[in-house]
Amino acid sequence: MERSLEMEIKRGPSALPVQCPGEPSTRRRMKVPSLSGAPAIVGRILFAVVSIAVPIVLWYLGTRYRVQFYIRFQNVPTPLDVFHEAVRVAVSNAFGANIVNSLRRIFVGFFIALVAGVGLGLLIGRYRVVNQLLMPAIEVLRPIPAIAWVPMAIMLWPTTESSIVFITFIGAFYPILLNAVGGVQSLDGVLLRAGRCLGASEAQLFWHVILPGVLPGIFTGLAVGMGVAWVSLIAAEMISGQYGVGYYTWEAYSLVDYPAIVLGMITIGALGLLCSGAIRLAGQLSMPWLAYVNGARK
Amino acid sequence: MTEADKGRIDCRNIGVVFGSGDARTEAVKEVSITVEPHEFVSLIGPSGCGKSSLLSIVAGFSKPTRGTCTLDGVPIKKPGAERGVVFQQYSLFPWLRVRANVEFGLKMAGVSRSKREGTARTLLGLAGLLAFENHYPDQLSGGMKQRIGIVRALAANPQVLLMDEPFGALDTQTRTVMQEILTNMWQRFRLSVLFITHDIEEAVFLSDRIYVMTARPGRIKAEIRVPLPRPRTAAMFGTPEFTELVHRLKGLIREESLAAMGSELDAGGVEGFSMEMGPNGVEQLL
Repeated sequence: MERSLEMEIKRGPSALPVQCPGEPSTRRRMKVPSLSGAPAIVGRILFAVVSIAVPIVLWYLGTRYRVQFYIRFQNVPTPLDVFHEAVRVAVSNAFGANIVNSLRRIFVGFFIALVAGVGLGLLIGRYRVVNQLLMPAIEVLRPIPAIAWVPMAIMLWPTTESSIVFITFIGAFYPILLNAVGGVQSLDGVLLRAGRCLGASEAQLFWHVILPGVLPGIFTGLAVGMGVAWVSLIAAEMISGQYGVGYYTWEAYSLVDYPAIVLGMITIGALGLLCSGAIRLAGQLSMPWLAYVNGARK
Repeated sequence: MTEADKGRIDCRNIGVVFGSGDARTEAVKEVSITVEPHEFVSLIGPSGCGKSSLLSIVAGFSKPTRGTCTLDGVPIKKPGAERGVVFQQYSLFPWLRVRANVEFGLKMAGVSRSKREGTARTLLGLAGLLAFENHYPDQLSGGMKQRIGIVRALAANPQVLLMDEPFGALDTQTRTVMQEILTNMWQRFRLSVLFITHDIEEAVFLSDRIYVMTARPGRIKAEIRVPLPRPRTAAMFGTPEFTELVHRLKGLIREESLAAMGSELDAGGVEGFSMEMGPNGVEQLL
């Protein structure tokens, strides 16, 4: 995003006789004619359209001419086939139920991972004892991918539904946890010292300094965690599910319904995008100050 | 004790030792300093003389190896709101707007929202920063951030203000202006201040009294009273009293800087080099 902090230099109202040289009394964002405003939005939309249209055109050409050079487009359905399938399922209740089921599983699993991951992450990052007590177990369990938990989850949990939610949770949990831990450990110590000498108790320090200071790290963890949660959910649904877009896609494969396979994939992509977008939006709303931190942005 | 004479810092026989065995470093040795109520005291010395270690002890961030520090007779054990600190690094909370930063100390103390807002706005007004109350720290210049850092420390209503080279990161021009702002604010609030700096003119301009520290291990080499009248103004920078005092302090500090560099160079195996450098070389460094 292009942003310019053009400043207007004028003397601000001051009760003291002196004012720092060159200090702006107000700063405001000003429009840069060439890159912001309406032309920038048009350009952005244009790029997005090109970005999505190119793969679709390649897909169309591949299926139109039945390309075969190691990669085989012989059985791949055309974009139009998939579109017809989409229109067909749009009026059926079953497809909607698949989407609702997948989203519900994501929300529940992800929400539990958020609460547990952020809570534990802050404690592990802050207290050495908690770190030494929990990290060894976490480091052993972490390399086990969520998919490898499927058989165990089916044994452990009373219903298929709860085992799928568990697997979604496992996928999201570790990225959220580790980013929260890292966030606490990399928090600038001077902010903690400032908080303490302004009279903050340990509990106040946690709530008013550590949590907001770690929020950018937490949101990084949430974005990564949401991606892994979808991967884990789809895998779990394909193996043990009833309903869900993963189940739908795998069922289509079993029934040799090619257009439905592709529709399932596209649906997964769209739902994943929706969820990441929601997280990004939540991040921007809860950390408006980040807009003024430039980092390495060009 | 009445409210009027609160804010007395008393540090006795402070010793600070880092590490042990071969890595043992004695940073501060038998330092005793006091800051009387309403007094502005500076601590100057060559880099590495342990002046920041001392401030960190008074702030309660670290404990001395030997000796005790008290504030109004109460031993200092941990950080507290009665000792406000202004740091060299920018330490505003980037997620809070300027006014919320200033209100932080009062919020921690459980002061009501409307009262906090009133205090913060008054203080920001005095510092000429009211127009920026709704800005985020990342929208402001370095000098403004440090001014807000001072205002934030004052807003928590401390008895003493501890300042660790607060203008060290600023350019010379901004620095001079900040010194004027600080002396004006001090004139108004009359808090006890312990101010760390390596800038001699800054120390003379601001202080009632100056402690000069030796090179490592840091001891008190001299204690100098600044007889310049109050309130201080920029016009005093050129006066003969001012220049004479600065000159005297420079002499004291130069000896120490030479000693500090000499021991570093000797430790590096370049014997005699420190003496050959002569005073001009060091003067340039200073």
